Amino acid sequence: MSTLELRVRQRRGTLALTGRETRRVLSLWTQTILPPIVTAVLFLAVFGGALGDRIHRVEGIPYLSFILPGLLVMTVAGQAFANCSTSLFQAKNEGYIEDVLTSPLRTWQLALSYMSGGLLRGLVASFAVALVSLPFAHEGAQPVTAAATLLITGLVFSSLGVITGIWADTFDQHAFIANIVITPLALVGGVFYSARTLDQPWSTLTRIDPIYYLVDATRSGLTGFHEASTAVALTVAALVAIAAFTAAVALVARGWRLKP
Amino acid sequence: MTANATFDRASAALLVERLTKVYADGTRALDELELRIPSGCFFGLLGPNGAGKTTLIGAISGLVRAPAGRAFVFGHDAVTDLESRLLVGVAPQEVHLDRFLSAREVLAYHGRYFGVPKLESEQRADELLEVFDLAAKASTKPNRLSGGMRRRLLIARALVHRPRLLILDEPTAGVDLELRHELWRYLRRLHSEEGLTLLLTTHYLEEAEALCERIAFIRAGRIAAEGTPAELTHRFGGDRLEDAYVEAMRA
Repeated sequence: MSTLELRVRQRRGTLALTGRETRRVLSLWTQTILPPIVTAVLFLAVFGGALGDRIHRVEGIPYLSFILPGLLVMTVAGQAFANCSTSLFQAKNEGYIEDVLTSPLRTWQLALSYMSGGLLRGLVASFAVALVSLPFAHEGAQPVTAAATLLITGLVFSSLGVITGIWADTFDQHAFIANIVITPLALVGGVFYSARTLDQPWSTLTRIDPIYYLVDATRSGLTGFHEASTAVALTVAALVAIAAFTAAVALVARGWRLKP
Repeated sequence: MTANATFDRASAALLVERLTKVYADGTRALDELELRIPSGCFFGLLGPNGAGKTTLIGAISGLVRAPAGRAFVFGHDAVTDLESRLLVGVAPQEVHLDRFLSAREVLAYHGRYFGVPKLESEQRADELLEVFDLAAKASTKPNRLSGGMRRRLLIARALVHRPRLLILDEPTAGVDLELRHELWRYLRRLHSEEGLTLLLTTHYLEEAEALCERIAFIRAGRIAAEGTPAELTHRFGGDRLEDAYVEAMRA
């Protein structure tokens, strides 16, 4: 068999595993797509609608428009992470991952295929949330910046999801990362407030949270308002995405916790 | 590398050279194991639990982290050359099937993971469902199949991408007598009509005797003896393979 033929077979295999992952997301849509949309809409209704009447504006922006970018980042991050970690954890825990581990797929193809489901889930859910909130979008927005940030967010958190799925040996470990790391990071990432309005140590805590920069860059894209440099935030986020993906591939290649 | 060594690697379905695997807890599952399975042979691997059978299979098929030593599948390095994966079909000892897919999809997706085009993979899935008498359960999820059906589906899955070396790790463990004989018939057909090389591990000595042309006894990660059933019986004395096995394990 020529190298080219092997490459073609590996590409077909990657598409098949990607198809399996995206199909899983779509067929379980009531568990994968609907809940984050409901959650985000509830956040918008409660914080933007009910509470927003009292807060009115943050940094000159209507509160609903202010929190929307953060909700989109939270949705992409949470869903991308949850999907990849759950799918890989299930495959590993139930043993059927051996089907792909014995295949000729290269390690980066395997990691990327598992990430695809998370990316799809995060981006579809956030797109739906964005559609619902479209009437509140700020004039003069730069949707390309927001879309790029959300895509990078998806890449970062789906890679982290793959790493967690590989690492977790029990459902408790799997849930621990989601509940104790991802959710708090999202909540203190400046979704609901401006970091510069906070006193110490909260302001510093917010600024050392990497999600803050993703939220800030998305907010810059959707509202024009930002506290940090958008270019720096996007560059750092892209570097983090590359590092997370490289780490995920390296772990798959080593067979860490996947193979004895 | 000499020309003879290259020829030997390419002509053997499986060539294992000083394969050693030590697990994190210090267990030496394979200890400089040497093995050669000729192309087209129905080969049996017999040994007690913990002898290294499943580890050897994992090392060949990518289910065990890179061991020391070398293993070649039809001349392709089993660890570094991913083309070797296309040549091997594995039906593991434990039945693990993707619960999100139907029986037909389990087969079709497996073929596609191995690079078989979608339509061809689906046709092959239908063909194998017929052969293994699972056509009526094509759209059933694996967890709703009986134990015997799941076992058959696992063997069918190993065949979807048309491997040249089929590895069956205790395929008849916990299987009723009727199904066992049914599987025997099918394995014989695969071997004689399709020219597949088969590596079978089993605890049933009568199974190995009935099916295998050559047999190796494995003990503590090493091959203790290897030959035809008649050769082994002759070498260790006794009338049956069972006597030779007991004697080899004792030696």
